[in-house]
Amino acid sequence: MAANAIDQTRRMLSLVTYLRERPGAHIADVARAFGITEDELISDLDVLPMCGTSFRGGDLLDIDTDGERIWWRNPDASGESTAEPLRLAADEATALLVAARAVATLPGLRESDRDALLRATAKLEAAAGEAAGASARLSVTFESEGGVFADVDRAISERRRLWLRYYSPARDELTERTVDPIRLFAVGHTYLEGWCHLSEARRTFRLDRVAEIRLLDERAEPPAIEPRDLSEGLVQPAAEDPEVVVEVGPGGRWVAEYYPHDSARELPDGGLRIALRTPEPASLRRLALRLGRDGRIVAPQELAESAARAAREALEAYDLPQQREAEDGQGVRG
Amino acid sequence: MAIAKAERLMNLALCLLGTRRPLSKRELRGSIEAYMEAANDEAFNRMFERDKDDLRELGLVIETVENIEGETGYLARRDRNRLPPVSLDAEEAAALGLAAKVWQQARLAGAASGALQKLRAAGMPEAGDPFEGQHSAIEPRIPVHEAAFEPLMLACRDRRPVVFDYRKSNAARPEQRQVEPWALECWRGQWYLAGFDRERGAERVFRLSRITGKVKSRAGAYTAEVPDVVTVRETVAGWAGETADRSALIRLRSGAGYPLRAKASAVRELGGGWDELEIPYGHGLDAWLVEFGPDVVVLEPADLRADVVDRLRAVAKG
Repeated sequence: MAANAIDQTRRMLSLVTYLRERPGAHIADVARAFGITEDELISDLDVLPMCGTSFRGGDLLDIDTDGERIWWRNPDASGESTAEPLRLAADEATALLVAARAVATLPGLRESDRDALLRATAKLEAAAGEAAGASARLSVTFESEGGVFADVDRAISERRRLWLRYYSPARDELTERTVDPIRLFAVGHTYLEGWCHLSEARRTFRLDRVAEIRLLDERAEPPAIEPRDLSEGLVQPAAEDPEVVVEVGPGGRWVAEYYPHDSARELPDGGLRIALRTPEPASLRRLALRLGRDGRIVAPQELAESAARAAREALEAYDLPQQREAEDGQGVRG
Repeated sequence: MAIAKAERLMNLALCLLGTRRPLSKRELRGSIEAYMEAANDEAFNRMFERDKDDLRELGLVIETVENIEGETGYLARRDRNRLPPVSLDAEEAAALGLAAKVWQQARLAGAASGALQKLRAAGMPEAGDPFEGQHSAIEPRIPVHEAAFEPLMLACRDRRPVVFDYRKSNAARPEQRQVEPWALECWRGQWYLAGFDRERGAERVFRLSRITGKVKSRAGAYTAEVPDVVTVRETVAGWAGETADRSALIRLRSGAGYPLRAKASAVRELGGGWDELEIPYGHGLDAWLVEFGPDVVVLEPADLRADVVDRLRAVAKG
């Protein structure tokens, strides 16, 4: 709530300066210019008539709306306090500059967009003055494969279908797919979201896993689907997905950072017992192999066994005396 | 009903911006309805101090001066509070509009919109009709899931020492760290803090997701000099095994391990369903190679081969 009051105050201070120049401005236009909903604007317009330079002097802002246009009957009563736009605060300069610099470094971004960002950044730095200083203390790098990015970007704007050779780490294989692109987004890595004709479903592809890409001449016709909410995690396991339980030692605690999970219970040795869901438990064989002595799959049993089997098979290639031990282990189990 | 905080803040801002002479607390209390309604002096003082801080967060420069009666007065001078002239064209406005949408953290998202609104009030044109295909279709987003982010961002900004509990990646228990924070950096969707670790007497990089509990501020100044350039990314890339200083020779089953092939500096077909690859060898390669199970065999160097065998044995035991 407090944060809202601050954002609203900030907005209203700019709003009065903006409205001063535009008698009879349309609600819809002002809301769009300020990047807010009409309801938010109307709630600001409810507060403004209670504001002024002196409560007792009666010179409150006489701002009124008929629901369509906005009228300010006494812009001079507020004197100079609303005449000019205010300097940028440190957080404001930081928020905009850090974001603009980050986007400008995205490989594959159109040069015209990159140029506009760099020009805007320079002007903003100059206008922000010392408020820009703190922006150096925050930085963001997006990862992207420039060539693939440019092709996906073009496919989206030309509404063309894409052909991909795509790597799936879960199965360690490359598959060929045709995809009708829907959007291109970056959250750390850069992703293509599209309608995949191979799986006949919406799929998200990480650009650094695209081994090959071609723009096809066919028109992309993705079904109309609600774009996913990017503020949620990208991996959203379903409740009906099978459960996998992993126990890790202190050295395997990173699993809880990388895998969305239902629960992570502390173990007495400083490790964790992690329960997670995945549509394809076999894909976690990689995890079991990677963990080594730092953790093991507790359930399902088949998954634990398949990892152990894979490790024994791998060891056979190394001509070692200890290899027998591994085979004996297998014999006992069988 | 209590008067909304936004109304109170707005009134204080207008009073301070509209005056040419410093206004005393008494005068402000007499001008602003919410202050008149304050139950007592103490409640008013608390409210007033908090409001002043909030307005300063919004960028207002509020000066404190003695007025002619020797009373403390406050004002926000126009010349110190106005935005210098800035002329942005429609293309630049569109670019900033894209940048402002990037933050998924309330404080920075609010600050970015606030900045755009100030620029709009200063006459920044609206981006023209978004002509189809004129701009990159990219939607960049910066995720911030860590509770430690906001306090650390403010501590970096204000150069305030902090204390927090930190659990190193392979440690069983968190440990308290006393840090002079320098900079925050987001790489591959993860946030890192670089700063001076007081006990260790050296620069350290911390991953925000490993901070447990609250970040607490400490009074006092920094004891170590803040470097001009802070290189978080290089340190983290080193952890992630991105900085390879040697190369390794492996055998890889045909068709398998595409990411290894993508990194390989040389690939040779061996026949019989196997290829031989030369790949960069940095920190963490052993763990990665083990993921491929029986599809990878390490040939050289011997230490990597031994590490991989060691890991495989641990898994083979089941």
